[in-house]
Amino acid sequence: MNKFAHWQQQARPATRLTRRGFLIGAAGAGVTLAFLPEGQAAATDPDAAAAAGVFEPTIWYDIDGDGIVTVNIAEAEMGQHVGSALARIVAEELEADWSRVRIRYADSDPKWGLMVTGGSWSVWQNFVPLSRAGAAGRMALLEAGARLLGTSADRCTARNGEIRAGNRAVGYGEIVRRGGLGRTYSADELEAMPIKPPSERRLIGSSFDALDVPAKTNGAARYGIDARVDGMLYGRPLLPPTRYGAVVNGIDDGGARDVPGYVKTIALEDPSGTVPGWVVVLAESYGAALAASRRVSVDWTPGKTAGVGEADLIEEGRRLVNAPDGGSMVVDDDGVQAAFDGAAETLEAEYTTATALHFQMEPLNALAYQAEDGRWEIHTGNQWQSLILPVLAEALEVPEDRIVMRTYLLGGGFGRRLNGDYAVPAALAAKAEGRPVKLVLTREDDVRFDSVRSASVQRLRAAFDADGAVTGFEHHAAAGWPTLIMAPGFMPKGVNDEPYDPFAIQGAVHWYALPHRLRAITNALANDTFRPGWLRSVGAGWVNWALESFMDELARSRGADPVQFRLDRLLAEGDNAGSAPNAVGGAARQANVLRRLRERLAADGPPPADTGIGIATTYGQERAMPTWTACAARVHVDRNTGKVTCRKLTLVIDCGTVIHPDGALAQAEGAALWGLSLALHEGAAFEAGQVRDTNLDRYTPLRMSDVPELDIELVDSTEAPVGMGEPATTVVGPAIGNAIFDAVGVRLRHLPIRADAVRAGLASV
Amino acid sequence: MSKFTLNGNPVEVQVPDDTPLLWVIRDDLGATGTKFGCGIGMCGACTVHLNGRAIRSCITRVGDVAGADIVTIEGLDPAGEHPLQKAWIETQAPQCGYCQSGQIMQAATLLADFPDPTDADIDAVMNGNLCRCMAYPRIRRAIKLAARELRAGREAEA
Amino acid sequence: MRILLVLVLLLLAALFYAWESPIDPVTPPEADAFSAAAVARGEALAGAGNCATCHTVSGGAPYAGGRPMATGFGTVHATNITPHPEDGIGRWSEEAFVRAMREGVRRDGAHLFPAFPYTHFAHTSDDDLAALYAYFMTRQPVAGGVPDNTLPFPLNVRLLQAGWKLLYFDGGGDVSDPGRDDVWNRGAYLAEGLGHCGACHTPRNALGAERGDAAYAGAVIDDWYAPALTSANGAPLPWTRDELFAYLRQGATDLHGVAAGSMSAVVHDGLARLPDSDIEALAVYFADLAGAPERIEPAAVRDAMAGLDADHTGRALYAYACESCHYNAPGAPRALRPELTLNSAVTGPDPTNFLRLTLAGLGVGEGHPAAFMHGYAGALTDADIVAIARYLRGPAAAEAAGWRDLDARLAELRTALEARP
Ligand code: FES
Ligand code: FES
Repeated sequence: MNKFAHWQQQARPATRLTRRGFLIGAAGAGVTLAFLPEGQAAATDPDAAAAAGVFEPTIWYDIDGDGIVTVNIAEAEMGQHVGSALARIVAEELEADWSRVRIRYADSDPKWGLMVTGGSWSVWQNFVPLSRAGAAGRMALLEAGARLLGTSADRCTARNGEIRAGNRAVGYGEIVRRGGLGRTYSADELEAMPIKPPSERRLIGSSFDALDVPAKTNGAARYGIDARVDGMLYGRPLLPPTRYGAVVNGIDDGGARDVPGYVKTIALEDPSGTVPGWVVVLAESYGAALAASRRVSVDWTPGKTAGVGEADLIEEGRRLVNAPDGGSMVVDDDGVQAAFDGAAETLEAEYTTATALHFQMEPLNALAYQAEDGRWEIHTGNQWQSLILPVLAEALEVPEDRIVMRTYLLGGGFGRRLNGDYAVPAALAAKAEGRPVKLVLTREDDVRFDSVRSASVQRLRAAFDADGAVTGFEHHAAAGWPTLIMAPGFMPKGVNDEPYDPFAIQGAVHWYALPHRLRAITNALANDTFRPGWLRSVGAGWVNWALESFMDELARSRGADPVQFRLDRLLAEGDNAGSAPNAVGGAARQANVLRRLRERLAADGPPPADTGIGIATTYGQERAMPTWTACAARVHVDRNTGKVTCRKLTLVIDCGTVIHPDGALAQAEGAALWGLSLALHEGAAFEAGQVRDTNLDRYTPLRMSDVPELDIELVDSTEAPVGMGEPATTVVGPAIGNAIFDAVGVRLRHLPIRADAVRAGLASV
Repeated sequence: MSKFTLNGNPVEVQVPDDTPLLWVIRDDLGATGTKFGCGIGMCGACTVHLNGRAIRSCITRVGDVAGADIVTIEGLDPAGEHPLQKAWIETQAPQCGYCQSGQIMQAATLLADFPDPTDADIDAVMNGNLCRCMAYPRIRRAIKLAARELRAGREAEA
Repeated sequence: MRILLVLVLLLLAALFYAWESPIDPVTPPEADAFSAAAVARGEALAGAGNCATCHTVSGGAPYAGGRPMATGFGTVHATNITPHPEDGIGRWSEEAFVRAMREGVRRDGAHLFPAFPYTHFAHTSDDDLAALYAYFMTRQPVAGGVPDNTLPFPLNVRLLQAGWKLLYFDGGGDVSDPGRDDVWNRGAYLAEGLGHCGACHTPRNALGAERGDAAYAGAVIDDWYAPALTSANGAPLPWTRDELFAYLRQGATDLHGVAAGSMSAVVHDGLARLPDSDIEALAVYFADLAGAPERIEPAAVRDAMAGLDADHTGRALYAYACESCHYNAPGAPRALRPELTLNSAVTGPDPTNFLRLTLAGLGVGEGHPAAFMHGYAGALTDADIVAIARYLRGPAAAEAAGWRDLDARLAELRTALEARP
């Protein structure tokens, strides 16, 4: 059964806010401004409209009698300062006084529509509707303000939270206080709403402090792990030996009974099948739950993946990419087969990546309880409420509308909290005990059942004609597929009518003028062994490892300069010409970032001995939302130890209009360093069906001393704003691999890059 | 049972001596600014001050802090305006923010020991504080900024 | 028959020799029987003798005894030396007290085990013993016996101690050297006598006696390693008089590390009661014993701190778990940030102190007065700790026998520490 089928229609969230009316009206002590669903224009009272459910889906803000503008944020705040960026978009068009703009994180409610934060979509999908919402508010305030000033709206201007006419002004707060602000805009009116030309922007693109930052410096910020409610029990799960199929045979808690505060240990019964075989140790404090959990032993019969190791996953991937059939053909250009059949020469390489962990700083947790009115309350940081709510409903055996998810800050998301599985055991334990339960995973628990980025295997081939020109290009990629497991409704179909996980291949549908064949294959052994996850930049984070390394191999095999080789193929023609509004310019903009990168590098001078420079370029993640990205890594290789040190990363990124330049830069810095960490410092492995290294003594993400010099340019642009959270992650791995080749002539094809692989490579050149 | 002071206030808790201080601070005493990241002393999210110096509260037994002064991020400065906190805002260092209480508390000890820290000093002392958002470049900048502020303050006093 | 007779005669002779007569009990003296000056002097001397460390259980009443001491032969419990009439020494006359200190004999005539270091105390002057007596008899009497010792037969036969004394006890006496100045002699008096430094720092022979041929050569005692106090110390930078003074006065030095465990108690509970001049005297004495240089050149400090292998597998663990507290700028180690490349716990021939401190940490008030270290017993695995040890120790690990089989020693210490209260 596909319980997510109803999302199939919503698979393009960017379009979900089109054709909507807009409503402005009194609500409580202020005024609320909200979108109306398609075809609805009659409602005038926001409260009534909300009660009637006509705010669906909607994003809104309100203005109170003091002129405070509060913007509702249905996105998860996990470090991207998303609320500040979205509020800034509203404030720009509303001509609000930024010092009076606040944000309010929204709890789950059907009125928000699809609640998901990921894919670097937030700004991109909200920019136009929020601009219009702000403009609609401005128009209404202008009209009402003009009336109060005894003049006409066309003689007034809105600026900085006031309506001005000549030297007289009335503040937004006063307009609200004096009443009469009410207006409805039809979808057509809203679409015709004048949006400022970029030259008139005052807030967008200028620097400002993110609204969420101060509370993150003084301990006031509240994350899911800080949630509490009177009378709650604390729980620590005891995880079964396999993610699926484990059965609890018995629990011995004899040793735990004398731990003060210990309550009991329960095996969860899960109708949703999300957490099979989970056991939860409950106590009056987390300290007691931890102490007790070490003295409880559980006898499980493991599921069938208890013996799976990293090498098995890779071996299975290898089998899949080498088999001629199977999987989904994502791209199949004419003439590719012929090119290979008639090739004078071919080049082929296999690329692999190891399992990668999210390792977000805040271990997974959730507080669940049934409120007095019978409704279930789930308190936790989450990126995709709409995905887990139906699962919670199934687990608790209540209708979805009897569950509300309260919103908290996320101590890191990176895609881990798109999968809300961790809320289920908390809910089940609370239901079983009839008391609130706050479940907190230890770091080791968190890692063991992380929704990891699957290990992957890719095979790439190129065909050359007798003149050495590339005539065909093929790319086969196998990995565990998160979307297949958790949201199959999001899977489009390939040209062979087979569905594929876009988040396990996107990034590979490149903009190079190369006859292309691209096949995505799911690795069932991976899907069975763990719950594959979406990890920062998803497919683009690993398919580009292969694609951009192989592009380097191709260039080198032709004796060409790697930058020029790419530029020669980044031609804004045909499929790669680009399209409005999101991909204006197409391959030409990718070529542009690459050229600018080359210019920036010129200042660095040639690298010293055993130091190399590697290049990679991508379009971020989605062809429909390209963030044009180019990167150069300057890398030193120690020939004795094989140790690779990244000295500098230079990036040029064109993400269209930048709303919050400093925030965008912070995202680029973080994403680039993520790429570096995944390339050189991380790399998990399965062993006996489990993640092997479960804490920081064995898993070593990048630290302060590993940070190279960073030089990042955001291209000045007024094109549509696209994603910034992830694209920089996609380029760094291949740039480093290419730099190592440049430095010492060793081609590495496995991520992460380890010193012994470099040494082995050096020994064989 | 253990008695100590938390952010200047005497506190007494009735928990087994081997309970990690972290959970006592967060759950029994309600100061949730101190975070849990790894539980093995290797991420720094739980960093607090014991008698003025940074320690990892996740591996500190509450029984071992009897009589000590414990200060958490909430108590670093009464108004939340410690030069480090101001520098953190100035540089917009936090991303998700989860690691930042620990980063700031660790940085306070860094600056106590190295008033004019070199990059090597910052690397070595701050390496134990993981930032998964990788806000490291800004954390480094914020530390240097705060160091300048503190030095200027001292010179003004002298 | 003849042989039997000889044996019996020998046994009787031995018994005659071994037999000590009881000294009559006295009514516990009133507190005002002693001058305030004598009590104050006695208090300082009890500090020098570090009496409280052995005669007090952690968290217990001072001097009420009970602290277990693991010897190679079994566990001996320190006695109650408060003036409690039944459980303590309340009925001991000064004569009985002096005899115990000088001859290792209880008031009732039974021999004391040499875990009580009368072999050292025997060097103490009459006046000092009188002051100590005054001090102890004016303490708060505390009721309560101590657990039985766990020495196996025949080691528990106190009479046999007479034979031990015959072999290993020289009877004490004056240790001064007329060829030395007063400061040196004061140091020698404190160190050899009440201070009983050799009781820990001198290795013992098979029968538990300090080996005269290896005075201060370093020894493992009670799961701590007491380092060599001679030129054999072997620290990367030699101890100087100033370092010794800093160590004995504040419990930590820049160049060698902190006083941990019982040595921390010696410094903070014991020596703290002595004036700077006595600490200086001890520093002079031991500096001389070790042939210490006057000072350490800064360049030598810098050199000694260099040279850890950046590619060692323990490097990352150390960097992420330890360095935030232990890092120092090159050439500038400080006591509050113990520099592990120089630290005696790392550089000594025995890993006990390093492993133990890593597992259990250092409490508030131990070592440097402003420092605290959490233990990593529940955080790091054995493999982690061994990797850190090998990283810090460097190639020298291969040379020092004690550092070779770290896993086994770590396992032993984990078990021993878990068993401790
Ligand atoms: S939670 Fe204490 S150091 Fe990570
Ligand atoms: S800001 Fe997110 S972990 Fe540091």
